[in-house]
Amino acid sequence: MEIGSENGRNDGFLRPLISAYSTLPLHGITAIPGKISGALMVANSIEDAVPLIHGPIGCAFQRKINPFRPFLPFYETPCTDMNDLEVVFGGEDKLSQGIKETYEKYHPSLIVVITTCASDLIGDDFKSVIEETKVKGDIDCDIIYTTGDFVGKTKPVGYQDALFAIVDQMLCNGMETKEIDKNDGSVNIITFPIHGAGLKTAEMVSVLSEMGIKINKICFDHTTVKDLYDLPKADLTITDYPMVWASLMKERFGVDHYEILAFDRYKETKDPELLSPYGIEGSTRIFMEIAQQLGKEGEAEEVIKRRKENAFVRLSKVKTGLEDKKVACMGGIHGIGMSMISDVGMKASVIIYKTQILESRLTTEAINDILDINVGLARKYGSDPEVLVNPTIEEEIKAIKEAGTDLVISMGANAHKYNKEGIRTFNSMQFTLHDQRIGFETPIELAIQLKKALKTPQRRNPLLSMLEYDSYRNTMIPEWAALADMFGTLREGATGDMVMYENACTTIEV
Amino acid sequence: MNNTEVITREGSAYDPTQDCKLVGAARALAGIRDSITIVHARPGCHCGVLLLRALGSNQNDIRIVSSGFRAQDMVYGAEGRLAASIRLSYKNFKPGLIAVLNCSAPAIMGDDVEGVVLSMKKEIPAEIFSLSTGGYEGPAWIGYEETLVELTRYMVPGKAERDKINLIGFKQDDLRSSADLLEIERILNSQGIMVNSVLTNSRFEAIKNAPNASLNIVLGGDGLESAKIMQERFDMPYVITPYPFGLNNSIDFLESVTTGLNREVNQEFITAEKDSIKERIARVFLFLQGIYDMSVAVIGDGCRAFDLAKFLSDELGLNVKVLAITSRNHITQDKNDGDYFETLLIEPDRFEMDNIIKSKGVGMIFGSSMEKKLAWELNVPLIRIFYPIIDEIAIFDAPYTGFRGTTHLTEKIINSVINNYTEV
Repeated sequence: MEIGSENGRNDGFLRPLISAYSTLPLHGITAIPGKISGALMVANSIEDAVPLIHGPIGCAFQRKINPFRPFLPFYETPCTDMNDLEVVFGGEDKLSQGIKETYEKYHPSLIVVITTCASDLIGDDFKSVIEETKVKGDIDCDIIYTTGDFVGKTKPVGYQDALFAIVDQMLCNGMETKEIDKNDGSVNIITFPIHGAGLKTAEMVSVLSEMGIKINKICFDHTTVKDLYDLPKADLTITDYPMVWASLMKERFGVDHYEILAFDRYKETKDPELLSPYGIEGSTRIFMEIAQQLGKEGEAEEVIKRRKENAFVRLSKVKTGLEDKKVACMGGIHGIGMSMISDVGMKASVIIYKTQILESRLTTEAINDILDINVGLARKYGSDPEVLVNPTIEEEIKAIKEAGTDLVISMGANAHKYNKEGIRTFNSMQFTLHDQRIGFETPIELAIQLKKALKTPQRRNPLLSMLEYDSYRNTMIPEWAALADMFGTLREGATGDMVMYENACTTIEV
Repeated sequence: MNNTEVITREGSAYDPTQDCKLVGAARALAGIRDSITIVHARPGCHCGVLLLRALGSNQNDIRIVSSGFRAQDMVYGAEGRLAASIRLSYKNFKPGLIAVLNCSAPAIMGDDVEGVVLSMKKEIPAEIFSLSTGGYEGPAWIGYEETLVELTRYMVPGKAERDKINLIGFKQDDLRSSADLLEIERILNSQGIMVNSVLTNSRFEAIKNAPNASLNIVLGGDGLESAKIMQERFDMPYVITPYPFGLNNSIDFLESVTTGLNREVNQEFITAEKDSIKERIARVFLFLQGIYDMSVAVIGDGCRAFDLAKFLSDELGLNVKVLAITSRNHITQDKNDGDYFETLLIEPDRFEMDNIIKSKGVGMIFGSSMEKKLAWELNVPLIRIFYPIIDEIAIFDAPYTGFRGTTHLTEKIINSVINNYTEV
């Protein structure tokens, strides 16, 4: 057994490091990262790419702090050092020179030019500058630019826009007219480059391979520019949620796409399972739908049946002692779904909804839908939970105790409140960040972790309980709650913010 | 004449080691303890400034607010939103000061921020001002200087009280700032000198009453412009002191202040502090002998990095191979010919700076969180001293400055070397 964990896995400092920053109430709560951060996520995830920020030094230095991974700054953020002269006379010469120098310094395969407020507003002609700089012939790499304007209001804007720019300006740069050496029957698997794409997709790769589905590329996992050029060879691109660049790949290269969170289909059918991709049933559906798109249903049925049987056998052993234990859960699209709770044999006793954060960012219809989704799924999977909407912590604890709850599945930040009352907790944030993925192993891991959580020593005197918290936003001290309220009020009604479910899912909490 | 090599940056592609005006202004405002800073900008600037604050050691004291500026406001302006933000800021926090930082997008578009501020003054019973902080207008230190200058407009003439001083150039969001200030106050108090206002680590009312002091202390040269204006407007003299890193900088600091106040230094106190340092150094003298001559790089702001490098070289006997000044101030030029570093980089490009440091064979880096990757690549310890620090916190009162800071820094440096695991 390796040192460091009971189940033999030694994760070292990485999990605690990621977790230490995971309670920051940022994304859509008190602030929204700008497009530069999203674009930098893309540039940073391509091993041989370098960003070039066309703007002032602050747009480069301040953006080194990565809001998606605060523990891991963007260390390389060269910029064109735009000053007031360029704001008046234009920054095109400086951009051209900046591209040349960036190439000479870093020798990348791709330069991702990221525009900023200043360069956007003064009307620099980025496209022409890049074309003319390339024509000079002394830069032997790809150059693309991302402005945030290519993808409408899809979120996260900078991330979506940079990926769109890669397809539009790099892959389609003459390539769509050439005959592509297709990797028949293969898929691209694309995940948000936050942590360990390889780990998160390992089981999916294994299952798909067993079905006879080839893996063309996994992005972003040590991805290079060459890997990106190979993306059009696949028949299907699998993404976490709808991506504009995947649609463009279909349009230009005929590469179909499949979204794990099927917002579009949910809007049509209101089937809550479409937003519940995890657990044994969710994974079964996902694998079958992927196989259907590739004409591999026959192979898939056999593989899934075998994998499920294996999972059920193992699960039946590890979930001993969990059956009919009661859990209280936080409602919403994120987190551990009802199907997974059912997989491990537990029952939802209380579902707690916090709608304040959503109210400024989702339509009323979308909020009501989200409220219904969990309750609907809970009932479908055999629970009959009490539902609390925006309760105070005292109301929560009273209901949780009265329902005879064994465990609260919380986001971690307020665990101490329940612990102080003698109620054990399970940190769903950590589980979703590190362990939750499509596949049949996840419920087994969840069952093991939940059993451990039920045995954790009581913590009746956490220092965190000494602080005063907001009654409703009970993970926040009053100052943060005020910041969140203000931010919500000031953003209320922003065009593009009040879209549907996508906002609840594509604003990633890290 | 020494053999110092001074390298300045050239070229258009610049991976900056410094931030823009916005952050300099926000840092100065962060130290006005009852102020609210409204970032009038697209979301990224607000998010960035909020993160800088939230990832430090003042997580219960953020006071950074957005104006809610959105994409469509790029056409129609966001003056209404800014007014709403000012109202909400007052309603929620009842601040003494609301400062609006007007960033690139609204500044280029021409939002009438001054007009909004003027109209809101009739409604809001707090001082409100705006500063132009477009990223293209300059680096952080300019924003810092301009903010302190703006604060002088609110100062009220008063009767200068003997042996009371103001500290200028102090940043409340530096790592260990709270402990550093306590130590600076302690050593000043030892001379019978009291701190009147700290620019900035005071409430707005105290800053307005800064003219009640009889001397301004300009730490490391930051905030010099405000000291000059206060001299002109209030006949307040000022002295520029070293940032008190190490024994000799601390003594120089005290001597500069006492000279400025026409007082004698309390030598007994200094002797006692020296004895205390001596006693502690003796406890680890073998290790201190062992690290003598170690090569290091110092990467930090002009206000503090020169003085830290001087302490490391002059007192600990380390070789400062590279001193990289990430952001200058008005007196940086005067310090370029110091004899306590080999290569001086002024506001360097990060790519070039890293390459130079990699070529120098250093065994330790003194810098900010932004040097973490470089330290990892070189497999050397990184001692975080300079802003921004987003991966170390400090809540215990152990200073880096002053006499007590001398032993703390020495302890930190030795531990950073001997804590390492290796197999040889």
